[in-house]
Amino acid sequence: MDWLEDELRRALAREDPPDGFAERVLARSRRAPSSPRRWLAAAAMVVVAAGAAGAWREHRGNQAKQELLLAVRLASVPMHHVQSQIRGISQ
Amino acid sequence: MKSLLILACAAALPLMAAPQQFQLNLDAVAAKASSHVDVSLSASTLQFAAKFLDGSDPDEAKVKKLVAGIDGIYVRHFEFKSEKGWSPADLEPVRAQLRGPEWSKIVGVSSSEDGENVDVWLRTSGNKTVGVAIIATEPKEVTVVNIAGTIDLETLSELGGHFGVPKVNPPEKQK
Amino acid sequence: MPIEAVEAGCDFPVLVRQHQAMVFSIALHFLRDRASAEEVAQEVFFSLHRNLRQIESPAHAAAWLRKVAVQRSIDEGRRRNRRPQVALEDVAEPAARFSPGDPMLSDLLRRLVASLPEAPRMVIVLRYQEDLEPAEIAAALEMPVATVKSHLQRSLAMLRGKLERRGVGESGWTG
Repeated sequence: MDWLEDELRRALAREDPPDGFAERVLARSRRAPSSPRRWLAAAAMVVVAAGAAGAWREHRGNQAKQELLLAVRLASVPMHHVQSQIRGISQ
Repeated sequence: MKSLLILACAAALPLMAAPQQFQLNLDAVAAKASSHVDVSLSASTLQFAAKFLDGSDPDEAKVKKLVAGIDGIYVRHFEFKSEKGWSPADLEPVRAQLRGPEWSKIVGVSSSEDGENVDVWLRTSGNKTVGVAIIATEPKEVTVVNIAGTIDLETLSELGGHFGVPKVNPPEKQK
Repeated sequence: MPIEAVEAGCDFPVLVRQHQAMVFSIALHFLRDRASAEEVAQEVFFSLHRNLRQIESPAHAAAWLRKVAVQRSIDEGRRRNRRPQVALEDVAEPAARFSPGDPMLSDLLRRLVASLPEAPRMVIVLRYQEDLEPAEIAAALEMPVATVKSHLQRSLAMLRGKLERRGVGESGWTG
């Protein structure tokens, strides 16, 4: 096998992050908001139990938000491809 | 590729959709697609949705900033079971409209390696840019986008593939 | 923890422990800054936590993490406008010829890789850290396979040239 490729594999071998990295990530993620889908399920139960118009508005708002994110994602992926191509040509 | 469910467009929200800047007459493409996504968001819907974006998430914060100047986003995305499920002629009704004087094609990239092509047009009024059109095609996918209003294309391209789920890659080899 | 994610075998703490080295190392070898690499790695896992319900399997999670780590590392590199220039004069003269596996040679290689332009740098990291094939690298970077191969070829030639001019190479081993 090529000596340079061997040495590159050695040089670029994975390294562990600093001690306590996983604990820090898990601790911070426990403080973060729960996933939207679980939130929406909880919101639907509130609507059923209490008939709160505010919770329904939140639900529709999150629905609109997901559609917005989908639209932006579908538009941004081809733009990212254009940018990558242009960068690839200029390098 | 995972099939995408057909989504109800935001007309489900009782708000008038602002007109898009060209007709998205893609019936010929839709007829051949195995799945499609159809999103139409007016300015008021965009502003409503933006209130629910998480400002502490770097990507959602970028989206929030992006939509501030936008009057509407209209996206049609189609997927096909096989390559050549669609033909360039199917997109001619849209391309013909983008040859009008108010549109200028600013970039077209084409890759013969993977068959991916992206064309981008800007719509101008006087010296002002008032819209963007994107047609992106792959052998098994077609995406047509109209964004009405002022948009930062650099930010839009940075977001590409950033949030949500990237395309599914083959299972990782054991290292 | 979303039930669906657990049922799919995508337990978040397990995913963090399983893939922290991969994610951290992609950022580290690209940015060559431990503090920045840790920040990027944390952001990648927070993004996973927010999108966990969309992950379909452990293999999908691994591919997803790798792609997001790549994107965030590139973004961080652009934000810092970091491209360390390693002039040959800055490279310490080898006190003796390197032996295969010499840590000083590894350090030199890491510095040389970090001085590559953004795209070839990430191609090299994915090839030699993650052992990805060109097609997998192309998918992760959303670039044509031909471009990936070209980056690999040119980067290896450049690295080989720089090392051999310093007397480092197959003919230079002491052992």
